[in-house]
Amino acid sequence: MNYFKSFVKGNEEAQPTGTETVARLCDRISSSTLLEDRRDSVRALKSLSKKFRLEVGSQALPHILQLLRSDASDEDICSYSLETLINLTTVEDDEEGDTIIQSEFAMSFIEKFIDTVENIMLVLEMIERYDFTVRWSAIRLLTSLLRGKPSVVQQTILVQPMGISRIMDLLSENREVIRNEALLALIELTRGNANIQKIVAFENGFEAIFAVINEEGFCDGGVVVEDCLMLLLHLLKNNSSNQQFFKEGTLIQRLSPFFDISPESSWSAQKNANIHLMLKVIRTLVSPSNPSNFLQSCQLAMQQCNLLAKLSDLLMATGVPTDVLTEIINTVSEVLRGSTENQHVFANVMAPWEPPRSALVVLLMSMVNSQQPFFLRCAVLYCFQCFLHKNATGQSQIIDTLLPSSLEPHDVSSGQLLCGGLFAQSDTLSNWLAATALSHALHSNEPAKCQLLRVQLATAPGNTPVTLLRQLTSIIQQTTHLQTRIGLLNLLCCWLSNCPIAISHFLDDESTVPFLLSQLAVSGNDRDLLVNGVCALLLGICILDNDGSITHYSKESLIELVDARVGVENFCDTLGCVSQHDLYAKALQKHQPTSDTPRNLLFDYSFAKLFKALEDKITKTVSNLEDIKKEEEVKAAMKAHDSIITEYKTLIREQDSKVAKLQSKCAKLEKDVQETESLLKDRDSQVQQLKDQYNLMKLTQGDDSSSTMKQIQDLLAENNKKSEELASNAKRIKELENEVEKYVAIANEHSPMQDKIKDDCMENGVSEENESFDLKHYKELEDENKKLTKEVEECQESVRRLTESEVLNTAKIQEQILICDAIRKEQEDLLILLSDQETKLKDYKQKLANLGEEVSDDETDSIGEDEVVDDENSPSDQ
Amino acid sequence: MGVGKSCLLLQFTDKRFQPVHDLTIGVEFGARMITIDGKQIKLQIWDTAGQESFRSITRSYYRGAAGALLVYDITRRDTFNHLTTWLEDARQHSSSNMVIMLIGNKSDLEARREVKKEEGEAFAREHGLIFMETSAKTAANVEEAFINTAKEIYEKIQEGVFDINNEANGIKIGPQHSPASGGAGGSRPRQQADSGGCC
Repeated sequence: MNYFKSFVKGNEEAQPTGTETVARLCDRISSSTLLEDRRDSVRALKSLSKKFRLEVGSQALPHILQLLRSDASDEDICSYSLETLINLTTVEDDEEGDTIIQSEFAMSFIEKFIDTVENIMLVLEMIERYDFTVRWSAIRLLTSLLRGKPSVVQQTILVQPMGISRIMDLLSENREVIRNEALLALIELTRGNANIQKIVAFENGFEAIFAVINEEGFCDGGVVVEDCLMLLLHLLKNNSSNQQFFKEGTLIQRLSPFFDISPESSWSAQKNANIHLMLKVIRTLVSPSNPSNFLQSCQLAMQQCNLLAKLSDLLMATGVPTDVLTEIINTVSEVLRGSTENQHVFANVMAPWEPPRSALVVLLMSMVNSQQPFFLRCAVLYCFQCFLHKNATGQSQIIDTLLPSSLEPHDVSSGQLLCGGLFAQSDTLSNWLAATALSHALHSNEPAKCQLLRVQLATAPGNTPVTLLRQLTSIIQQTTHLQTRIGLLNLLCCWLSNCPIAISHFLDDESTVPFLLSQLAVSGNDRDLLVNGVCALLLGICILDNDGSITHYSKESLIELVDARVGVENFCDTLGCVSQHDLYAKALQKHQPTSDTPRNLLFDYSFAKLFKALEDKITKTVSNLEDIKKEEEVKAAMKAHDSIITEYKTLIREQDSKVAKLQSKCAKLEKDVQETESLLKDRDSQVQQLKDQYNLMKLTQGDDSSSTMKQIQDLLAENNKKSEELASNAKRIKELENEVEKYVAIANEHSPMQDKIKDDCMENGVSEENESFDLKHYKELEDENKKLTKEVEECQESVRRLTESEVLNTAKIQEQILICDAIRKEQEDLLILLSDQETKLKDYKQKLANLGEEVSDDETDSIGEDEVVDDENSPSDQ
Repeated sequence: MGVGKSCLLLQFTDKRFQPVHDLTIGVEFGARMITIDGKQIKLQIWDTAGQESFRSITRSYYRGAAGALLVYDITRRDTFNHLTTWLEDARQHSSSNMVIMLIGNKSDLEARREVKKEEGEAFAREHGLIFMETSAKTAANVEEAFINTAKEIYEKIQEGVFDINNEANGIKIGPQHSPASGGAGGSRPRQQADSGGCC
């Protein structure tokens, strides 16, 4: 206020000068014809604009706007004008005087300025000017306008064609100052405006950002890298489309080089800031609230590009500032959460220690170490929680380390560390953290809950070992520390829920129920009441999931006890204490366990979830004892009913199985029938074929034999004929021989005569004539004789030939008869086969009938008929 | 009721159809890997709002797009009638090399057809566009629509029409997967699903 007074007072004295000077300058701007004059005036205005913000702001704006249009070509005038506007729209922290009032002036001026859309467009035009000072001033003016009235300016730029592109282009400016200013402008431009964020991403914003980060030297780069990361964060935060684009553009891989940090490197504040922002970028991509598909592929990409490995290395490195380390642990947690593959990779990360220890064990050491900073310890719990989220194998492995095993005695296991934390005497935060961590090893894992029941503790040398469950209950009863008590109670709630065996173990300890009931009646402040609330929850769980195996603490008897001791209504109110508490509401908001102070760390997300799920159920169950009893009765009735139903069910099941069997049998039989039918058909066709063959054979055989017969007959006839011929020929030969003999006799008679004649002739020629006549006659006879002889020979020849052919024919006939015999035999075989087939057929039919398949009479008949027809046909064919 | 741009994209990227789809606000991003000519190519696709009120925003997505799908609804003639203005918008704000594919969507609703296939073909011929009728519901031609557009862009790259070293035209060379392949290892043309008005 002092300054305001002095300002007002000063105004009173300087008012004529201040206002007048501004008025005079404005007048000169509008009226002077000399460029120099206008330039000087606006320069003067600029220098006055800080001190006389109100005067300049109220009078000069129209003149400056006029100047920017009319003297746009003069770089100095433009830059002075823009600088004046910047002075009017910004309030610097180190400015003297009341910054609140100054800010109000600045805001009202901004409102006045952006009231006209053309003014913003004018600034955008100035950004396109190449001159350094003009462009530089224009981009700074835009930033301050955006800071003042973001939504209006954003909306105006958004609808300007190329509005965003013009600013994006500045990211590739080689004049770094302008590029850096453009980054600042873009940070403001993208703040909370998804549409602009998407356009910036579309305009290769991510690439441009990475280019700058690269150029500036990644995490060792200065504030410019911080600005880049801030812009990156704006583009990705709450913008699933851009996140998708980022992932699809394989840009996650580009984040990896950022964590190539040598262990010896120094850790400046700037580097810390840069790394913090980069971790925020990563956590934006793997935030538990992201859609699971997207989240998983991001987690996997981070593992595959070695980002997870680099972060794990940093976890184990020395010299990393605690705040950075804490944030790295939180980031690693979310990269692991629910990703089986990443969890597996992380389980194998070893700390570079001697001997090497698993990173998980090293982290747990920090968690249960009271010397470590609170937030770091919370981060380790978160990491442990995320590592075990949907990781049944990991959970079992943790539980296994608590069971007696072949573990080397000097080796530190996570189980040992957790137990150490659970029972640490002077560190209640350790108790709470270890209890919560252990509850994550049990979460939704019934076998692990049962396994944990086996854990025995050696409390002191010489003492008999005591179960973990009993040790926990006794500590809960003995401790005076709220945080320890609530932590252990939380663990018990998680352990006992959905695990009737654990409940019966718990109830078996005589002291537990009385303690819980007495605790419900204790009064105290709101924090103490939280203990009562959690006790009520634990009792509620014992009621809800009670299997009745501890008879005196059955469901009903517990409710009756509660009612008798504290009253049902009171019990429900006590339960309600938790859900009404701030700490509970806070825990429910975030997966990551956080708290402003260590002592306020009483609930975590999964406990709050459990509570939320059970509160209503417990209230209903407890307040309806009558109902429960009725329910029990109904249940008993139902049980009886159930047993009947079960009987019926078994009956039905049996019948079902029978039906199924029969169905399958039936199907088999049907198949058999089909097969048999097809076999029958085959056989039928075979029979038919055979019959046809038989007929055909009969026919051909008949033909054969008849033709052979005929041939034989023909041959015989021929034979006879030839024989006759032969006989006639022989007869003739005989005749001819007789004749020849006659002639020979005649000749012999004649020969003496002949000789005489010859002699006579020799004597006288008279007889010569006679002689010649005789000779002639003789010759003739001789010729005839020759002819006849020849004929006889011919006849003999033909007889021989005929005899030959007869022999041949006889052989042929013999052959035919043989063939005939063979065919007959074959025929007989076929007939035997046929009768075989028929008996088989009859068998099949019989079988079919036996199997229950109806074999219609038609079938038998038709088969019979066929046979009859065939039989009828056969002779006619023959 | 839109012409079905978001449904086309969903069918292409997720292979599913969502009968009730929210109105697209501004733009939404989608991506899918395809193979052309034995090369892996990642398509980055921006699904723009068809509403007139988003026009100034969607305009920003022409610059730097290698291809565009101009979509109308075959069961509503007004969406076909709006094509000219959308096309003008696209041509005005984009590079002249942008490949534009004209899509007549909802081809499954043959009974309610108002725009003949021939009309679509004629419009495409007249303006030098590629044309196809699709159904985001039955997935008919959806693959082809996107892949053919990508192929066209790919051919233009091969012909040297697009300068692959200039990222401003929406194409980026990815990391080379096989050193032997040479040339464009995995280019990533950007496509824009755009609309023929839906009022």
